[in-house]
Amino acid sequence: MNVVTRGVKNAIRSPLKSGAIVLMFAISIALILSMLVARGSVLSKIDEVKATAGTAITIQPAGVMGGMGGGDPLTTEQIASITSTANISSTTSSLTDQMGTDDTNLTASLELGSFGARQQRFDSSSSATTTPAITDAESTDTTATEETTRPAPTPRTTVTGTTDANSVSTTGGDLTISSGATIDGSSSDKVALVGATLATKNSLSVGSTFTAYGETITVSGIYTTGNTFQDSGIIMPLATLQTLTDQAGAVSSVKATVNSSDNVTATVAALKATLGDDADITSEAEQAASSVESLQGIASLTTAGVIAAAAAGALIIVLSMFLVVRERRREIGVIKAIGGSNGKVIGQFIVEGLTITVIGAVIGLVLGILVSGPMTTSLVTNSSSTSTTETATQGRGGRGGMGGPGGAFQGASQQLNTNLTQVTASLTPQIFTAAVGITLLIALLGSAIPAWLTARIRPAEVLRTE
Amino acid sequence: MLTIENVSKTFNTPGGQVQALKDVSLSVKTGEFVSIIGKSGSGKSTLLSILGALDNPSTGSIIVDETQINKLSGAKQTQYRAKKIGFVFQQYNLVPNLTALENVMLALEFGGYPASSRLDRATQLLTSVGLEDDQQHRRPTRLSGGQQQRVSIARALANQPAYILADEPTGNLDSATGKKIFDLLHDLSRSQQTTIIVVTHDLEIAGKTDKTFTLKDGKITTK
Repeated sequence: MNVVTRGVKNAIRSPLKSGAIVLMFAISIALILSMLVARGSVLSKIDEVKATAGTAITIQPAGVMGGMGGGDPLTTEQIASITSTANISSTTSSLTDQMGTDDTNLTASLELGSFGARQQRFDSSSSATTTPAITDAESTDTTATEETTRPAPTPRTTVTGTTDANSVSTTGGDLTISSGATIDGSSSDKVALVGATLATKNSLSVGSTFTAYGETITVSGIYTTGNTFQDSGIIMPLATLQTLTDQAGAVSSVKATVNSSDNVTATVAALKATLGDDADITSEAEQAASSVESLQGIASLTTAGVIAAAAAGALIIVLSMFLVVRERRREIGVIKAIGGSNGKVIGQFIVEGLTITVIGAVIGLVLGILVSGPMTTSLVTNSSSTSTTETATQGRGGRGGMGGPGGAFQGASQQLNTNLTQVTASLTPQIFTAAVGITLLIALLGSAIPAWLTARIRPAEVLRTE
Repeated sequence: MLTIENVSKTFNTPGGQVQALKDVSLSVKTGEFVSIIGKSGSGKSTLLSILGALDNPSTGSIIVDETQINKLSGAKQTQYRAKKIGFVFQQYNLVPNLTALENVMLALEFGGYPASSRLDRATQLLTSVGLEDDQQHRRPTRLSGGQQQRVSIARALANQPAYILADEPTGNLDSATGKKIFDLLHDLSRSQQTTIIVVTHDLEIAGKTDKTFTLKDGKITTK
């Protein structure tokens, strides 16, 4: 029997006590690993969200939100100043309009419903046919009355003119063209992409034609987004819609891409200085910052968790070994008295401490691997539940009031929320190495304390108390 | 030959300095069976600790086979204890989670005995002190006081030490068992020329040794 054998044997000489120490240590190691995994996953997701959100800025006329509100469209001069702003690498301009039955021969595929009908009540009154009951202006009848007849509200079809059809995508990526080909947003051709729902409703296919604003438009392709509102609309080149609606140069939304995420804040400031109160400017980076705020909170929490769990683990081992040495002072004194060197006694206690640590670490790491996934998911799900709920409560067929210009930006926003809930626990080699490193540090600390204590024990002092 | 010259030992206690040994001098020849008697607190155990290099004297010198052991380094004193000294304690002081055999093998390991022959040597020693085969594989808690003291003696003899220092070896045993243990030590001193120094307050035991030193208030009063 040598030092190592004795150390291992001593570690399990009291199974109940050693088992309790091992269990407590294992739990702290499992917590360390879980917290490291959660921290790694969250930090990685924060980077991903920031990278995804990164560099887009949306500029809309002041007072406009999703087709509602008022104000004037952005002008050609304003678009030019946006495009020429430093650090802006590209822009996508959009104009949205609603086509009623007078504007197109298409049948809207969206059911109006009570919500849609309510949106049209003011429009209906403004366009109502007013029939004077008494038309003789010279009449002396002072109780002249008017009979107002409101036509029944009718569903409308949203048409978006854009320089880039992909800006309508709800996922933030490319628009999915289920048949045909996409359109050239920079052209002024009388072509359109038709949403899958609208195409089905009107039996449209690639090459079909329909009438819009008195002109014949050819279907270039059918797109699908999975969003009922978007799939009930039409996408045209921006110039085409501007011409058809007599709004030359008018734009209701510009999505600008900045060349670097570092320049987003400065570019937003520059645009605000240029456009003043005429436009509302928002950046995805700002939205992302608020979206990842909760994740950053979790990252800080997990960092604190790692430190606390490591401290608890170290304390468990140090105190346990301290108590072990204290209750075995006589035994240590006897071993020294019969010729055991300090080295042999210290070695024995180091092996004893390491045995407990290693057993606890192995159990803890296995436990940590098992619980880190659910723990990370739980932390992130709880944290992002508020934003998820907000997204979930939006009804089908409605987006920002009557839909329209905010669609592209909200697509990216939806992507951010999806990212938040898709944080998955990932145990990388670096995280595992960090956990093992912390464990070894604790093991060394836990062994060094008893080693220092045993070296201080003088056999004569121990045996004198007989 | 073991010689103690003008040894004094002072302890610092919360109540002030306590002088446990005062200018003690004595010598013991090789192979002698010596007893040290005295009342509780007279300095017997302190003297034994100094002889076994468990403690150093405040003043004076201890010369063992021409080596002044109190001037040795800590590591050399450990070697001295491992190879030249065998301790027998009143409380036996066996390592509780080791079997009788393993306790003896532990001393053999510290004495540098080859690992391959430790088991044979330990078995032989335990058999020679009268421990049955099945008892040799028991832990101390499953042995009687007398059996534990036999294991303690076997452990003390493991490295064939020149000196055995026994502190009240029969103090915890009944008279019959105590007599057997004493006879065992006595036989050893005769058969193996081992110098045995026994601290005891049992005058009957002291009367059977070759030489008796009496300690009173830290001073040798009778040689």
